[in-house]
Amino acid sequence: MRHDDIAMRAEHDAAWRLLRARNAPLVLAFLGEMFVEENHGPVPATQVLGRLDDLLYALNTVREESDCYSGTPAGYLDAWCAPEAGWLRRFYPDGAEEVHYDATPPLEKAYAWVRSLGPRPFVGTESRLDSLVQLLRQMVHGSEVDPDVRLAELHRRRADIDREIAEVEAGNVSVLDDVALRERYHLFTSTARDLLSDFREVEENFRGLDRDARERIATWEAGKGELLERLVGDRSDIANSDQGRSFGAFYDFLLSGARQEELSDLLDRVQRLDGVVADPRMRTVHHEWSDAAERTQATVRQLSEQLRRFLDDQVWLENRRVLDLTRRIEGHALALRGARPDVGLEIDLPGVEIALPFDRPLYDVRPAAVVDSRIEMGDATDLDTTALFEQTYVDSARLAKIVRSVVPARGTARLDDVLELYPVQDGLAEIVGYLALADDDLSVDIATDTEERITIEFQDKDGRPRAVRLAPVTISRTEGSRTESAGRP
Amino acid sequence: MSESDDTAVSTTIIKLMRGVVYRDGQPEEWRTLERHGAPVSDHFRVVGVDVVVDDVEGYAYLRSRDDEEVDLPRLVNRRSLTFPVSLLLVLLRRRLAEFEATSSDTRLVLDRDQIVEMLTLFLPDSTNEARLVEQVDATIKKVHDLGFLKPMKAQQAQQSAPGRHGQQKAWEVRRVLKAYVDAQTLDDFDARLTTYRSSFASETTGDTGGTS
Repeated sequence: MRHDDIAMRAEHDAAWRLLRARNAPLVLAFLGEMFVEENHGPVPATQVLGRLDDLLYALNTVREESDCYSGTPAGYLDAWCAPEAGWLRRFYPDGAEEVHYDATPPLEKAYAWVRSLGPRPFVGTESRLDSLVQLLRQMVHGSEVDPDVRLAELHRRRADIDREIAEVEAGNVSVLDDVALRERYHLFTSTARDLLSDFREVEENFRGLDRDARERIATWEAGKGELLERLVGDRSDIANSDQGRSFGAFYDFLLSGARQEELSDLLDRVQRLDGVVADPRMRTVHHEWSDAAERTQATVRQLSEQLRRFLDDQVWLENRRVLDLTRRIEGHALALRGARPDVGLEIDLPGVEIALPFDRPLYDVRPAAVVDSRIEMGDATDLDTTALFEQTYVDSARLAKIVRSVVPARGTARLDDVLELYPVQDGLAEIVGYLALADDDLSVDIATDTEERITIEFQDKDGRPRAVRLAPVTISRTEGSRTESAGRP
Repeated sequence: MSESDDTAVSTTIIKLMRGVVYRDGQPEEWRTLERHGAPVSDHFRVVGVDVVVDDVEGYAYLRSRDDEEVDLPRLVNRRSLTFPVSLLLVLLRRRLAEFEATSSDTRLVLDRDQIVEMLTLFLPDSTNEARLVEQVDATIKKVHDLGFLKPMKAQQAQQSAPGRHGQQKAWEVRRVLKAYVDAQTLDDFDARLTTYRSSFASETTGDTGGTS
């Protein structure tokens, strides 16, 4: 790669931009969790916003003021969808009322790269060399057309297997040692994840092919037959492209019943091997491949369908005429900008207008209902509504203090005596406050057995004299501990 | 046909009379059209109307039959729309055509603000911007009443900008617009505008026979 290419890439590549972004940890953590770790396809907007909100809240509570993520969830999503970023894709899937979000291949790339930065327990070499040799064998022998050469190879392989059979029959069962096992497991997990993260790119490639095809169709000047020829010839027809054929083969391979069973069985057994530190995600990785592949396949189907529609004779010709005509009409409209033309489009109205005159009922004369909703006005001249609004706060600690200062230890006093010394200031509530004193060393006793009544006079807030008549109340002070009672309104 | 089938056919006929029937929006009626399309079509053929079922796009609508032999009065109404509404339909039709040519998504959704921007380019200059926006909103509503725009859930993402009032709606441009605003209708409109323009030019400049 040359310097200028790299510089260009640093400037424009979306994955690189993500790594350079100030909010990279937030983006990678959130989108990576949702779309890579949890392997979701497109997610509705409300779900995404909800989760992002939760995450931001959780993060912000443990961060410094200056470090906080101060944007709104919606603002962040907008920014990540913007063309300057390109880490999130926003669209309306068919049949959905809500907008959906999906991650983009650059996000997968950046996330995979950041993951790979973690320290590796060890760097396996033997397993990879082994798989490389296998690949070479496949390529060389698979493309060999000379039957003799192929037969020679097959015989060689059979000889190898025979030797192995002899060994096992003799009792020498050679087993992969721990190191080799771990190495291979590691290689397996990393390749499996790579495969999973590649599906988005596969989808994106398909979409790109589709766009190219559409563009070509839209701008084609010659006849339609040649267009079709060109499309198929250039393999821009999705199914026939390199991407399409590889994916098609993969899909068939993965989805065959026998294959699924085999994979399931193998994965199960591998996870249970001693000497392997099993990654729990790997147990169901074949399901995740299936899910991702299914989504991609659905996209391919949809794209092919639309393209076919687009290529339909009528649509193709019509669209071109429509574009020409709309351009002309816009030209007219611009020229007529100052005027208010009374010409308009003449179209069929959808549906059929049906007016059934006899379906409408004749005028129905109803006598006006007499409603007597008059409420007699009460006499409001001397209505004191302040009681509705005021809240008197009575400090019962103060009352307790007063009592303690008046009543000697182990003594008693009558409430009206106490109130003579310390007149009521807060009205009736204060009297009730006295009655409700709940300190440990004070006890309030209301004499219920006599007919005697005491009268307590006081002045309310407006200065008017008030009087309360109640049974005699004695307050006694015991030797108990002083507990301050909290103020009560 | 059983009684329930009869009812289904009748309901479908009524729904078609009311407007466009969509596979997503009215699945029952769509199924009826698939299974008992013939009775429905026959019913309408009597009054000189065709039922067009577009399987691929997923909508069905009524169209006048242009039968040379029989001369029936038109049941499906034709209406001349006002200039602003017509203009908006033309612009939306163009956006739809461009969208099909470039994008692999199926649904074209525009913000209200995008629509305002599109349309104000063609409206006479006015110092009263609020009034312009109101006009555009009214035009959008009329197009919605005709059935060519569908309101989508209010976009939460757009509400991130403070101080923006007014309906932050998104509108889906319904693909059935292609069936109603087709090349033929556009052609007629274009022709009429050309004549209008030439007469307008001749009025303002005082020449006769102004060129378009």
